[in-house]
Order: sequence, then C-alpha cells, then structure tokens
Amino acid sequence: MSGSVRRIRNVLSKEWSVMSSSFGSLLYLVLFPLLITGQAVLIIWLVARFVPAGDAIATLVHSEEAAAASWSAVDALRLLLVRQFNVFVLIVPAMIANVFSTQSIVEEKITQTLEPLLATPVRTWELVTGKALSGAVPAVASTWLCAGAFIGALYGLGWGFLVPVALNATWLISVIALAPAVAVLSFVLGVIGSSRAADTKGAQNISVVLFLPLIVLMVLQVTGLVWFTPATMGAVAAGFFLLAAGMVCVAVRLFARESIIVRWR
Amino acid sequence: MHHAIQASHLTRRFGERIAVNDLSFTASAGEILGFLGPNGAGKTTTIRMLSGMIAPTSGSAKVVEIDPASQPANVHAVIGLLPESPGFYGQLSAERNLRYFAGFYPGIDGKRQVEMYLDRLGLLERKNERVAGFSKGMKQRLSLARALLHEPAVLFLDEPTSGLDPEVAHELRILIGELRDVGRTIFLSTHNLNEAEGLCDRVAVIRTSLVALDTPSALRSQATRGGATVTVQLETADSDVREAISALPYVASIGGSGEQLTVVFSDPSARPRLAADILAAGGNVLEMLEQRASLEDVYLNLVQDEERS
Repeated sequence: MSGSVRRIRNVLSKEWSVMSSSFGSLLYLVLFPLLITGQAVLIIWLVARFVPAGDAIATLVHSEEAAAASWSAVDALRLLLVRQFNVFVLIVPAMIANVFSTQSIVEEKITQTLEPLLATPVRTWELVTGKALSGAVPAVASTWLCAGAFIGALYGLGWGFLVPVALNATWLISVIALAPAVAVLSFVLGVIGSSRAADTKGAQNISVVLFLPLIVLMVLQVTGLVWFTPATMGAVAAGFFLLAAGMVCVAVRLFARESIIVRWR
Repeated sequence: MHHAIQASHLTRRFGERIAVNDLSFTASAGEILGFLGPNGAGKTTTIRMLSGMIAPTSGSAKVVEIDPASQPANVHAVIGLLPESPGFYGQLSAERNLRYFAGFYPGIDGKRQVEMYLDRLGLLERKNERVAGFSKGMKQRLSLARALLHEPAVLFLDEPTSGLDPEVAHELRILIGELRDVGRTIFLSTHNLNEAEGLCDRVAVIRTSLVALDTPSALRSQATRGGATVTVQLETADSDVREAISALPYVASIGGSGEQLTVVFSDPSARPRLAADILAAGGNVLEMLEQRASLEDVYLNLVQDEERS
C-alpha cells in the first residue's frame, strides 16, 4: 500500500471513528434519508389519493411514455411524481456531505487539532481527499439506499408496475452520476465555508448556496419547463462535476498549510 | 560541526508587520535551546517556520540538514511538535488519538510506540478514556507523547508547561531533561525563566529579532556589565571600617547600613581581597555572599534595552 493511500485511509478511519462516536451524527445519517424518502412516498400517496388527476397530465404522460399509454390518469400522475424523486433525493447528498464536511473541519478549528496534524507528514491533498471521502461516501451511499428504499416502497404499496417505466436512463443518471457530483460539490463548499466561519452553523450558512442550483433543477423539472432527457441530465451532471472541480481548486488553496495556520481563525 | 537546527537571516512578514526579523542561530544535536521573549515577539512564528508550517519571507533554515520551506513533509518526519494548545479529538480515546497521529509516519510500529509512550507518560491506564475528560496536565503529557511517537531527532516545544500546576510542570521538566539526555535536540519556547535557566544549555532572547544568545551563566555575567556585588555581614557596625572599605581602590560604591554592607566592585577580579582588607581595617566578617543576577534580571534588562533602542 502506498504512503498516500495509507494516510488517506488513516484520515478516513479517524473521521468515521469521530462520526460513529457521535449519536447525533449517526441519527442524522439514518433519519434524514429516511425522512426524505418517507416524505416522497407520502406526497405521492396523498396527491394520487386526494388530488383529482387532470386530463392534461394523463395526456402528457401518455404522449411521452408509450409504456404508459394505457394507464389511468391516477397512475399517470403517480408516474410523473415518481419521476421527480431523482432530483428531490439530491437533497440527501447535499445535506449529508455538507454537514459532515463543516463539522469535520470546524471541529478541527475549534479543538485546534489542525496544527499538530499539519506537523505530520500528511500532505494537504491527502487530508482533503480523506475528509472528502469520509463525507461523500456516506452521502452517496445514503442517496442510493434512499433510492432503493423508495423503489421498495413503490413495490410495497402495490405500485411496482411504475418502476420499470419510471426508472429510465434520466432517472438513473441523476441518481448514479449527479448525486456523487452534488456530494463532492457540497463537501467542497463546506470546506470553503469552514475556512471562513467560526462555527459549524456559520460554515453551513455560507455553503448553503449549493441549494440554489438544486432548487432551480427541481423547479425546472416539476414545472415541466425543461423535460430532462438522458443527454440533458448527463450534461447537468457534467456541469456539476466541472463546478465541483473548480471549487476543489479553490478549496485546496484555502486548505494549504500556510493559509490554515496564518489566515484561519 | 553538525547542527540540528540552522537559521540564517530568517525573516517573516505578515503584510506590513514584521513578525520575525533577520534571525540567525544554530542549535547542536542534543542541545536544549531556550527561546525567550514577550508575547508577540515571534517565538511561535519561528517554530512554525522551522517546522515547515509556514515559509519565511526571506532567509533560510535547515533542520537536520533539511530545508523546511522546500521539503516540509521530509522535515515533518524528523521533528516532533508540541503546540501551545494540545489539540486532540475530545470524543476519541487517548489511544485512538495517538494511533491516528502515528498513522501518518512511515516505518513505525504505531501500536507499540503508542503503548510505550502512554506508559512512559503515565497515561497507559487511562488509554481508553475520552480525551475530553482529561485535565490540562494530562493533555499536555499526551501531547508530548504524540510529539515523540516517531522518535524525532528535533523537538519543538511551545510553552510546554504553560498553565500547568507546579507538580505536573516539574514532572514535565524532568521528562524534557531526560529527552535531552538521550540525544534529542529540543527547541523550547517558554515564558518561564526558571524553567529556561534550569533546563536550557543556551538561551536566546528574541523580540522580533535576536536580542541575545548565550548560556544562562554567560547571560547573567553580561547582566552585571563587568561589575560584581557582594553582601558583607560584619560582626559589629563600625563607621571606620565602612570608610576604609569605601576607600579601597577596587570598590566602586558601598551601600547597606549597620552590620550589613553591600559592596559594588569596579574591578570584580579583586573580590578575593575584600575579606583580608576588611580584617586589616579592624572589622570581623561573619558572612560574605556574592549577589548573582538571575535570568529574570537578564531578560528584563535585555528586553527593556531593546525597547529603549
């Protein structure tokens, strides 16, 4: 095992030790994704149960999905709602990565562990990578578990017939590719926020800016202003990755030893 | 000669402010070099430059022949740092904290080193306890254990006994002395002048730039500025004897009253003659005591001189 991999694993292992030692963090990691998934299922059930499905929605779904051409207006509405989940669930990687990155770095500032840490042979990029993985891995894993739980709930509610139609390439690209990009971007914004904030809340307030593009994405999809195809969703994912890469450069500069020692307060 | 630390015209600016100015000194292997100076004098900045945490604005340094500015990771492998604030993950145990830091050093048996230093610093029995519950003294001992895990050749100790109770501070000083005895070079930044006097082979006084650097005894000699003062306890007060002493050619002035006199020498080499001359003048000497400048006097003189200049 190379030195860098060993040091990254060391950072990762410590971060998870800290995470697992905090009941609040574990609770958040479990409850928040469940809440998001449960909320999505509840909304679909409530809307399909109490809101009369209009012909316009049925016509739209029937025209866009050949497989749903013979479905009732209610089922067409359900399909439309299930399709929103791929963007709705992006709140999970955004929130989890952000919370863990800001907690991780601000805690280091508060407990003044950065100076002895930076006096070891660990390199800045190894430290940032270890911390990024420690936040991004549970964030992405939670997102995928949410997606799995959501699909399981659809089957459980007897709506299994929606799954093969709802889980199209666009849906899968957003969950498989866009979610990790959002997690990385969220983590990096957390680092940037943490470098300027004195506490976790302050850092989260700064990095919450990430939710603006996510909200725009949701609005575009829910209102139907943009009908996301696999190509457009792939382009959105690529855009998020590019944005994340740019922000990583900013974060690495902010996370340089000298910056931390001299400028971070 | 092999120097463990070499600083050459080391300067660091933060914007317009000069934190460290043109600092040059060396420390030999196995030496404890004390670094004294008021708050904001540049002690911590110097440690950070020498330990590769920040780069100098100008000048250069070598620690165990490695340039900390260009090869910080290599320097980090051979130095141990005890920062002013211990800095531990409070929710993790003492052992887990040390295992984490040990995990960054190549080629060491982390588990063995952690156990050994926890034992040596008297923390082995509490290794599974969360650091958040530790006293400041325990955290400081743990911090020293962390600095030693990879057996560094050079140790940078930034105010190691600051805020500790006298007993713990004493224990820590004994440990620091033992570390010097096994050949480690120790760079000790401190406010505690007794500590510096008791532990350090040489002491540097810094106030942005280097004010003085010498052994504690040489610095004390400098403080007397070539003169010497002796307190004399006579058997009886005698004005004739007093007059005879003040007339001696090597005496600059005489103070005190009654049986106790304070004699200030213009020629310190004549000190051994004083007792015989008092006897010749008819006085009987019960006790003679040379007054020595403490490191505190030296430090205050140097810093005040620097302020005036």
